[in-house]
Amino acid sequence: MNVAVMKTKAEQAISESFEAAAAKLPGNAAVKERRAQAIGAFSGLGLPHRRIEEWKYTDLRANLKDVLPAAVEDKTPLTIAELLVALGPLAHVDAHRIVFVNGHHRADLSDVSEAAGMSVSTMALALSTASDESVASLASTPEGGDAVEVLNTAFMTDGAIVDIAAGASVAKPLLMVFVRAGSEANTVTVRNLITAAEGSNATVIEANVVLPGAVRDAHLNTLTEVSVGKGATLNHVKAAVDEGRSLHLSNWDVKLAADANYRGFQFSSGLGFARHGTNVLYEGEGGKLDLSGAFLARNSEHVDTTLVVDHAVPHCESRELFKGVLDDHGRGVFQGKIIVRPDAQKTDGKQMAQALMLSEDAEFDSKPELEIYADDVVCGHGTTSAQLDEDLLFYCRSRGIPEKEARALMIESFIGEALDKVEHEGLREALASYAMQWLGRSPRG
Amino acid sequence: MLEIKNLHVKLEDEDREILKGLSLTVPKGEVHAIMGPNGSGKSTLAYVLAGRDGYEVTDGDILWNGESIIEMEPDERAAKGVFLAFQYPMEIPGVAGLTFLRTALNAVRKQRGEEELTTPVFLKLAKEKGAKLNIDIDMLKRPVNVGFSGGEKKRSEILQMGLLEPTLCVLDETDSGLDIDALRIVSEGVNALRSPDRAFLVITHYQRLLNYIVPDKVHVLADGRIQKTGGKELALELEKSGYAEYTNKAA
Repeated sequence: MNVAVMKTKAEQAISESFEAAAAKLPGNAAVKERRAQAIGAFSGLGLPHRRIEEWKYTDLRANLKDVLPAAVEDKTPLTIAELLVALGPLAHVDAHRIVFVNGHHRADLSDVSEAAGMSVSTMALALSTASDESVASLASTPEGGDAVEVLNTAFMTDGAIVDIAAGASVAKPLLMVFVRAGSEANTVTVRNLITAAEGSNATVIEANVVLPGAVRDAHLNTLTEVSVGKGATLNHVKAAVDEGRSLHLSNWDVKLAADANYRGFQFSSGLGFARHGTNVLYEGEGGKLDLSGAFLARNSEHVDTTLVVDHAVPHCESRELFKGVLDDHGRGVFQGKIIVRPDAQKTDGKQMAQALMLSEDAEFDSKPELEIYADDVVCGHGTTSAQLDEDLLFYCRSRGIPEKEARALMIESFIGEALDKVEHEGLREALASYAMQWLGRSPRG
Repeated sequence: MLEIKNLHVKLEDEDREILKGLSLTVPKGEVHAIMGPNGSGKSTLAYVLAGRDGYEVTDGDILWNGESIIEMEPDERAAKGVFLAFQYPMEIPGVAGLTFLRTALNAVRKQRGEEELTTPVFLKLAKEKGAKLNIDIDMLKRPVNVGFSGGEKKRSEILQMGLLEPTLCVLDETDSGLDIDALRIVSEGVNALRSPDRAFLVITHYQRLLNYIVPDKVHVLADGRIQKTGGKELALELEKSGYAEYTNKAA
């Protein structure tokens, strides 16, 4: 048992929650051992707070007061029809589908039978049947993982394990749906593993959605580990759409082999308090990254996007474009660290983070960090925050568009530049529809 | 009919008067040109007609079909048939031309008590009207005016005008930045819209545009007032003699 001194009630409650949940969490004895180690590590780390530089603007310790019980099992009834309602615009995207309700796989709602070139299974099953060798890679925390990732290892209940076969080109995207349903306020912890083998090409969507009428308070901790093989292309899109009260903690841990092409996109609206961390490591030359996103926040919502892009090898390219729309007391945080290691010559990196402020009380904290140790590189970054352009507003209104609609159109215009990074047309339109719903505009028919 | 009566306008946050008692009447079916030197108040007049913020009408009135429009919002004026073709059309990144046109057209139709157009009907109309201005569907799928040449931007303004079917068309320096070919296409587009129900106010610095869009009357605007009114031959005179006479008079 760990004997570390607990600092806050919430930290104490998390450890107690683990004691209560441990027996019901999936996994064999070796997995349970690793979970116990993880919660021990957490006791030492505690919840991240503002005096830790990476969490300066997102004080989790101050914002996580009431710990919700771990969702160790789920019996919430959910029909396909309800699932489609929860999905909203994404329901129109023709995709293979794997569904998790409150963190637990639901075979009856999933359909991956015809996903040729792609194998899709679940983390719960893998943890229960893991061999001693595979435990080390399954039930582990990525190197340098923070307290949130450590907690993910301790509490993960399920998730998708996706293997894209070498050379396979999977036409239809895979939609991984994580639905919140029912009336119990829980902490849902999910771990996904996506492996794109050499020369493959696929699109994977992670959707966090809520069944209308479901409990509004929820805590989510999701970790998706991604490995893109040599010359493989992976489009990875996350859409998190919520109702303003949830705590979303999410991490992507991405490794790129030589000539890999990874296009990640993160869309969110209505997240109560959110932190989305992404770590990208180039392991081979010629890797290409486009990591972009759009976040919409109002009331007192808080959305943090934190990136660490590690150019560990030469001849790699990285592009980031993030756009945030902030209304009321909404707060956006962007931290973009680009590391160019001494050997990583010919690195080509560009980063941009922009916020559109719709209210005097909105706040955007942007911190680009370039750590460049090589001398033959092209790297640039920029950040802006601005209000709606009054001249543009007049232009729209002079064409008969009423003020409210003109403002919405201009906000769409602002986000549109980021959404254009999503190459799949249906998917891009679905994200635009979520944005329009947030703006109170009906989607275009 | 457009009636501008003794219009006095100043900038909201500056005490400088720009229009100093401008009076002007444009009956339906006519094209009137406003010519004048830089700084005479031409663009201010265009903006005040369209309802841009930042200007204050301190005296006088603007009547369109007998109704004062100076208290109306820009979108209300658009619904009443007022259209301003901008000297510098704005770029709207991230919004496809078709989306913008359809949003504007349906907003105007709604305010006019007409039915909104369905997507297929709208597309057909946009294609048809676009073709006459050498604007194809690919151009309309691009974000509004982004990366367009000067000529493309002006053609896109005239397409908007053609779709929204205004009854008072104000063209602010539409000829600026156009080469001869673009000028011809734009002018043809404007001429095609001339009708007994429509009034045009064509604001220009140079006479050249008026070879293509032949006005019924020409007004000289200098120092915030109409200094002289004549037929189309007045434009030719101005081309020869310049505006010195009027600016001197003003001074």
